[in-house]
Amino acid sequence: MNDLMSLGIHRLWKDHFIRNLNPGRNPLTSHTAQEKGWNILDIAGGTGDIAFGMLDHASTVNNDAHTKVTVADINPQMLAEGRKRALATPYARSDRLTFVEANAEKLDMIPDNSIDLYTVAFGIRNFTHKDVALREAYRVLKPGGVFACLEFSKVKNPVFDAIYKRWSFSAIPLIGQLVAGDRDSYQYLVESIERFPSQTEFRDMIKDAGFMIPGQGWEDLTDGIAAIHKGVKPASLQQVSER
Amino acid sequence: MPPIRLTRSLLGTFQTASPRSTATLKQRCCYHSSQYSQPPPFAPAESAILSAAISHVPNVGFTIDALKLGARDAGYLDASTNLFPRGVFDLINYHLVTQRLALKDTVQFPTEGENGKKLGTGVKIRTLALARLRANEPVVHKWQEALAIMAQPTYVPPSLAELARLSDEMWYLAGDKSVDGSWYTKRASLSAIYSATEVFMTQDTSRNFVDTEQFLDARLSDGMKLGSTFGALSAWTDYTVHSAVNVLRSKGMRI
Repeated sequence: MNDLMSLGIHRLWKDHFIRNLNPGRNPLTSHTAQEKGWNILDIAGGTGDIAFGMLDHASTVNNDAHTKVTVADINPQMLAEGRKRALATPYARSDRLTFVEANAEKLDMIPDNSIDLYTVAFGIRNFTHKDVALREAYRVLKPGGVFACLEFSKVKNPVFDAIYKRWSFSAIPLIGQLVAGDRDSYQYLVESIERFPSQTEFRDMIKDAGFMIPGQGWEDLTDGIAAIHKGVKPASLQQVSER
Repeated sequence: MPPIRLTRSLLGTFQTASPRSTATLKQRCCYHSSQYSQPPPFAPAESAILSAAISHVPNVGFTIDALKLGARDAGYLDASTNLFPRGVFDLINYHLVTQRLALKDTVQFPTEGENGKKLGTGVKIRTLALARLRANEPVVHKWQEALAIMAQPTYVPPSLAELARLSDEMWYLAGDKSVDGSWYTKRASLSAIYSATEVFMTQDTSRNFVDTEQFLDARLSDGMKLGSTFGALSAWTDYTVHSAVNVLRSKGMRI
């Protein structure tokens, strides 16, 4: 379904997202062995796409067999789907992959300062209170931890934007009706994309939550149909002097 | 009278407008001025990580590992290297920018030379270029890696821009105040000479880089010769064209 609507491009986006974050701690090049692997929290990642990709990247690219991913989703059916899919991967019975039912605005089961990388791919659009979720992300991240978000955004080129709008408002609900027999859900999908804040607005929201912004703060994918936003939680100066 | 009054009132408006416009310019800080101090080019957290990372470059080279080690030293995590969207190029860029800005502090010219006469611009340029090359010394055995990364298509424009800023800084510090066409040729030729010498230096095995120094001197004298030849050539062309026109005019041609 997603392949049909995005013509398969969403796979490229997710691949790029993972490769760019480069998760995993390479035991061959890291000199200190105090910590092993990253602790990754994948929010709204019920089906596990991002989680499996992260673990694959850590294992095959960085030779890291310790990186852990916690998949959190508010929807138990999605989590069940993820668990089912995980059986086809080598991580199903290892402690590297866990599934948690959680609301991104209230992650009580995750302790403060415990996460290296917080990812949310095509999920934050559906959060009721995005600012609350961002503050919760700030709380659970370790100092220096990274918030990374892959989400639909605003197209920059006006000509391409016109074509894209036509595709999303005419074709996507129709595909939804024909293939999934559910026009309303896909109508909601395109409207929620339309309502999501622009690149600069969302960057400012990340900044307001207390994050440092790398460079301009986002990277456009396919001329801004989607964008990767990042934020880094500052390490306080006091901690630096302690080390 | 009216024109004078007009100029005066115009001047008046300029004067009243100027404080505000300088204030806005100061905020943007998109120009070079010795009167205003420039804001630091990197945010505190970024420069903490990058300066720590630079100290690992002699061992691990310009790689993502240097950035990760630097992040660790500064109290950050491996993941924090995501703060640098251009990865290793941001590390190279940090080296280039900080060394360029350090030039004005490392090189001090005496107001009067040893024999009581002022130092020539050529001598100053040579000193500045050598000082900048010396700043590459700690990382020179890894500098080819950096050059290779700078030559990647995505990073060519920012690298060239940084080279242009470097040669501009050197001419500025050497006290060059030209406002004619030579402003461009001076910067272009110094950029070419500096980058060639930098590449030469990566392969220099001589003691204390004396070969590099000789290479730089040879290129600078080439540049000087080329400049004087070019100047003589243009003077000759100018003279010849004018005399040809005058000869034709004396023959009664209406030019």
